[in-house]
Amino acid sequence: MFDAFPYDEWGEDIAGFWTFGPGSSTGTYILTGIGVAVMLIAFVWFVRLENGKLLRQQAALRASGALDRPRGAAVVVETTTTIITDTER
Amino acid sequence: MITSLVPAWLAQAPTPDELKTQIDLSANILLEQFYFWTVVVMWLIHVGFMAYEGGASRRKNLMSTAMKNILTIAVVTPTFYYVGWYIYGCFEPGFPTVGPDSQDGHAGPVQFPGFCGQTAPWADEMGPNLQNHLNAVFFLAFLLFSWTTGSIMSGALIERVRLSAYLILTAILGSFVWILDAAWGWSAGGWLTIRFGFHDAIASGVVHGVAGLFALGVLLNLGPRIGKYTKEGMARSFRGHNTHLTLMGLMLIFTGFYGFYAACLFITPTVFPGWLNIYGSPTTLGAIAFVITVGFAGGFTGGWFASKGDPFWTLSGGLAGVISVSAGADVYHPSLAYLLSISGAIVAVWAGNFIEKRLRIDDAVGAVAVHGVCGFYGVFLVGIFAGGYPTGLANVESSMGGQLMGIMAFIPLAFLPGYFFSWILKKLNLLRVPPEVELEGLDLAEFGMDFYPEFERVPEVIVEPDGREVDSAPVLLDSYWETNGRAPAGAGVGAEERS
Repeated sequence: MFDAFPYDEWGEDIAGFWTFGPGSSTGTYILTGIGVAVMLIAFVWFVRLENGKLLRQQAALRASGALDRPRGAAVVVETTTTIITDTER
Repeated sequence: MITSLVPAWLAQAPTPDELKTQIDLSANILLEQFYFWTVVVMWLIHVGFMAYEGGASRRKNLMSTAMKNILTIAVVTPTFYYVGWYIYGCFEPGFPTVGPDSQDGHAGPVQFPGFCGQTAPWADEMGPNLQNHLNAVFFLAFLLFSWTTGSIMSGALIERVRLSAYLILTAILGSFVWILDAAWGWSAGGWLTIRFGFHDAIASGVVHGVAGLFALGVLLNLGPRIGKYTKEGMARSFRGHNTHLTLMGLMLIFTGFYGFYAACLFITPTVFPGWLNIYGSPTTLGAIAFVITVGFAGGFTGGWFASKGDPFWTLSGGLAGVISVSAGADVYHPSLAYLLSISGAIVAVWAGNFIEKRLRIDDAVGAVAVHGVCGFYGVFLVGIFAGGYPTGLANVESSMGGQLMGIMAFIPLAFLPGYFFSWILKKLNLLRVPPEVELEGLDLAEFGMDFYPEFERVPEVIVEPDGREVDSAPVLLDSYWETNGRAPAGAGVGAEERS
């Protein structure tokens, strides 16, 4: 496979021997454009994915009433840990 | 016999031109390897930041904290590749200009004709290239510096910032803000270097100071963690879930710093003096390694005494000490570095307490004090102790005026983008996690699990301003109710509530 590289003919003046190359060619411009587009889409996706998770969890926690201000006597509030709180504070 | 061999041997001997070609190739490969290994060592900085911040977080926020450090690499790498490196190559005069100085269709400083054109993502020098072994590894070293700026900020924001908001902000800091100031003041052709002799050899200001002030701008919009301050404005302390992990992380950061320091130098293996700082002025690898080591020693000492033996501030003091002497590490006498690093650690402890208790800004790991304050303190010290040393290819003398010019340029360049972009995210309600999620812990919302399943859950502890350790749950719930279910106000207890 490496015989494909003409080492005997090559010198130090060989530059940009990459896929879709050489540099500053249509292939590299297109690849760069696609890369930038994917990068920007990834940012949007990071935001959307996390936003959905956080809002769902927030809604679930609110619906559970676990974080509501208690009324009446001492109550036990279930969260990630068991919290015993006193409403007299 | 021998006499007959000599002519044959001479006939096979390389000519001086061939020998020069071989030496140049060997020198280039040596350079390539050198920068490659600095990159490997600098990875430890990010391992360290992840461990440090993970240990400083509460158990319920472990993975969300670590994931910030991991995904820093995912977002800063492409943004720096597509944009950041080009900024470094092309913005040295301030902003690119089109005119007689322009090279290869791009603007570029006269000192390095063509470098600008080599930094575009489609340039020949960014891929396999037998003519140029160095651009790609230079790029990688700078990329690792960029990750570091992001990691500096990440610790300050833990336990309430949205992961996605952090990723956007760290891309802005790592691929736009810091690299623009590096082009201006951390390059041989930068306008601050050429016109004012600005001297910040190992990046006290351009990396640490700028990242710290960017973080400060973000913190003002982000606000403190729920329960951080009492109704009277007194600061409580959260207990990190694993101090051992934090201390080990700091030690890994220190190890990685040696790679960082080494990567800040140029090698000229076939030309005297062999080593140059980033401005092209002479120094040696041994000299800067000496200063960093003495800087740690002085920093630990200063941090220990200033904090009265607090473990966290003792180690952070080591970091602060090194950052305080980095700007002049290429020329400082080791004894001077020892003394200055002690003072830097003392400044960091004082600034950290001032920021937390007086300004009421919740910087979870003291990043603004250690990196921001000590970064600019280090730049300032060069004006006092290294004034007169020639800086850069134009041999402009470093001076207090030049250092102040750099500080005046970098402070707004760092703070304003941090404040502005975090303000936009805040207005879009994308900066901070919902308060209910913050109370429960980010890991359950983000990942749906606890990351210490084999350990029993114990009540979380919080330290009251008077030093009492109490169960944090009632305290946090009380703070949550006080703010009517909204996240606490921004900087200062009396500040207007977030909407």
